[in-house]
Amino acid sequence: MLNSKISRRQILKTGVAATTALAAPAIFSPAYAASGTVNVWTYANFLPDSFKEEFQKDTGIQIRERLVDDQGKEFNLLAAEAGQPTADIVTIAGHRFRQFIDSELIAPLDIGRLSNWSRVNKVYSEADWTIVDGKKWGVPILAGAEVMAYNTDIVTPEEARSWDILFGEKYAGQTAYILQDIMSIVMLYLGYDGNMIGYDEAKAAEAVAAAKAFLIERKPRVRKYYDAGAEFQQMLINQDIVVGHAWSGPVSKLIMDGFPAAMTIPKEGSYGFVYNYNVVNNGPNADNAYILLDALLAHPEIGANMTKASGFISTFEGSAEFLSDIEKAAASFTQEELDALQFFRADNNKLKYDLVDPAVEEIKAA
Amino acid sequence: MTRHTRLIMQMVYWAFVLYLFIPLSLMVLMGFKDSKFIGFPIKSLTLHWYKVVIQDLELMSVFAYSFTIAISSTVLAIIIGTWAAMLLSQAKFKGKIIVFALITLPAVLPGIISAIALRIYSQTLGIEPGMTAVILGHTVHNVPFVTLVGMARLNSQPMSHVEAAQDLGADNVISFFRITLPYLTPALVGAGIFCMLTSFDDFVRSFFLGGYEPTLPVYIFSQLRTGMSPEINAISSVVLVITAVMGLAAERLMRRK
Amino acid sequence: MPPQEEYSTGSRSFWSWLATSKVYQSVSASLLGTKKRRLVLLAAVPIIWAIVANLGPLFKMLDISFYDAYPLSKGREATYTIAAWREFFVTPVYYIPFFRTLIFSGILTFATLVLVYPVAYFLARHVPKSRQMLFLLLVLIPFWVGEIIRTYAIMILLGNNGAINIALKFLGIIDRPIPFMYTSFSLGIGIVYLVSLYMLLPLYSALEKIPTNMNEAAADLGAGPWRRFWRITLPLSKDGIASGCVLVFLIATGFYATPVILGGPSSTMFAESIANTFNVAADRWPTGAAFSSIMLITTLTLAAVFLKIMGRRGKGYL
Repeated sequence: MLNSKISRRQILKTGVAATTALAAPAIFSPAYAASGTVNVWTYANFLPDSFKEEFQKDTGIQIRERLVDDQGKEFNLLAAEAGQPTADIVTIAGHRFRQFIDSELIAPLDIGRLSNWSRVNKVYSEADWTIVDGKKWGVPILAGAEVMAYNTDIVTPEEARSWDILFGEKYAGQTAYILQDIMSIVMLYLGYDGNMIGYDEAKAAEAVAAAKAFLIERKPRVRKYYDAGAEFQQMLINQDIVVGHAWSGPVSKLIMDGFPAAMTIPKEGSYGFVYNYNVVNNGPNADNAYILLDALLAHPEIGANMTKASGFISTFEGSAEFLSDIEKAAASFTQEELDALQFFRADNNKLKYDLVDPAVEEIKAA
Repeated sequence: MTRHTRLIMQMVYWAFVLYLFIPLSLMVLMGFKDSKFIGFPIKSLTLHWYKVVIQDLELMSVFAYSFTIAISSTVLAIIIGTWAAMLLSQAKFKGKIIVFALITLPAVLPGIISAIALRIYSQTLGIEPGMTAVILGHTVHNVPFVTLVGMARLNSQPMSHVEAAQDLGADNVISFFRITLPYLTPALVGAGIFCMLTSFDDFVRSFFLGGYEPTLPVYIFSQLRTGMSPEINAISSVVLVITAVMGLAAERLMRRK
Repeated sequence: MPPQEEYSTGSRSFWSWLATSKVYQSVSASLLGTKKRRLVLLAAVPIIWAIVANLGPLFKMLDISFYDAYPLSKGREATYTIAAWREFFVTPVYYIPFFRTLIFSGILTFATLVLVYPVAYFLARHVPKSRQMLFLLLVLIPFWVGEIIRTYAIMILLGNNGAINIALKFLGIIDRPIPFMYTSFSLGIGIVYLVSLYMLLPLYSALEKIPTNMNEAAADLGAGPWRRFWRITLPLSKDGIASGCVLVFLIATGFYATPVILGGPSSTMFAESIANTFNVAADRWPTGAAFSSIMLITTLTLAAVFLKIMGRRGKGYL
């Protein structure tokens, strides 16, 4: 492939010298004593830097943070470690507990070890989805919603009261959604229950088939089925779309930066989700995990910093007081919107996703 | 070729360079944007993101970690790949085509498949996720490229040189180091640059095989959830400048020689 | 470059000292004494590597593709089944991305060849030897920027409010932005960017080896420039074309991130279908493993057929 004229030894020499110099800090960085560490798998910007520094100084426990970008991958990683996890705390949305519990990857939460448990807003700490198999499983940290987001220069708030504009003719070719998530919303929009509570197989199949047919029919009008929050932000900035379905966090961050965007929960309703820190089953430093979780809950300002960094809403009581007006406006909903919001539920996930996953493939292939 | 076609080719070359560099210049430009997001319009410019990059010790160690992995896996891949190239081009034995197929197989495996297969496999071998596993993963992927390049070069090697050395009493090992290796070196340097490139750019293997320290692509991927910040453009611009300077310096050294 | 150039006096004395040392001679005699021992020494490392590092993981993958579930929850044994393999053949949904991937990669390979051949030719035959390295560097440097960053840069280039549309509007050529993004066009732009390197290097290397005097001799015999190209240059660069095309094709079928980000609603590739089986639900690893095996077998067969047509039958490199 390559040939003599391209390169000679000098390249290697220069390269090795330069990279050795660059690599030095990594080689000499201190080895972490296993007893004094806590291992956290979390999303970027979920653990504020200021909190990490303070915690490490106060307790002497080093936080080893592993950044993840997808819960499916997180599950795969943990499952691949086959009962000898290298993590103490993982980040899981409430409606995905079931998958991790069934594979015995996370441990039930011992609330007795968290003196600051009461600082979690009751809306979250006492919600029905927190209990699976009669036990509590995670510390709620950040809440988000499946929202409709739009460019305020083009779309009016009145139009945005309904999901109709996402599927209608007016903005054809200027919309985007996450296919997996929009399935639940379309079920709700068509009068079904996206959580499938109490559904038998026939009813569930009917709901999924209806949503699938609806989305295939609307396929010529959609610009993009996307995956990552950053993609959605970029599509709004690049004006490839003017309205779309998104998670609230990335949209909040865009609004906080001054982009003319808004988000809403349309009148037909939508779903919310809550990220939790869960203690890993058989994790190497369970005691330190509880120390970290308790410290995180100790002050509402920590929650506010988490909101600023991630765009999602803090679950800690009183954290909103530490946000500026713009930040508050960018990361909150009106009462009317909240009334239309319900949480995702894990109860019927197996039934639901066994139907939804193949339907998503079919829509993409249609 | 006529002057005419030569001109056309020259234009195609420069058009190709333009095609490669326009996205790059946009990337560099966005690193100076005074906003938390990349894209037009740009209201004002700032050096803020470069300051963030320089002051961010965590980022520097991510950087260094990626480089360490790239260098180590490249060195390993060159040793094993050259060995395989020697075997495949110099020795005659039955089932050579099978060995060739086995050695080059990882080059054509889709990343996600090889990553997950390696992750499960390393678990059964007792290799913890982390630097060792990532280095091995990248080595597996890179060996075929070194082998292919090495074989191509060896196939054009005049055997008379090796034979002459052996007539003078050198055994196979010595004639390899004195005759064949110098002949191979240019090709191996090329292959090495290529290996470092793929290692440095690899996300999926690094993610599945890695531990707590992220490589640069893994770090960037994790940032994509909340937004593509100009900071990432600033990091990439720094990488670009370092590699360009390294390349140009090497080219100059060569010409002086 | 003649090999003599590489001997420094320092290394010469080391090697001749080594060659004459008694210890080395006896070690060498026992290790390399017979032809068989030499072959064993040469073969051991690559073959062990190929079996342990290359075949091991694949065997594990193939194994999993016949499980009924994976990862297994505690205390549960896997039973063997062909369900995962059957799923591909009985679910027409997967045919579309599967064949789309093959066709798209084929077209893309051809397009890359047509685009990159003149570039490689220009580099190898028209740029003076002393400047070739510089010109080659110029097209290699962009590849040091990661795939994701480059892909996002392409979004900013092609978006409705991207650089090209802004420029066209400024020049008064268009009133409304042209939607380049999320089409086969944007996808092609993004992927050709990623694979052109794999085409350029083999082509350059093959073209650079063709002696100039062959063309001159043909010209003396009265052959025109096109005739010379078809009869001499093209056949002599066949090796480079073959390995470049095979590499690009195989690599293009495996791309995941770029098609996901740049493609439109109707350009799902098979790699994404495979990745979804690992990312979405827990019990679908066997399906993903079976799909991977199917794709691997198909693409390798196609590559082998292509090489056979090119008349090389596994001779040489690729």
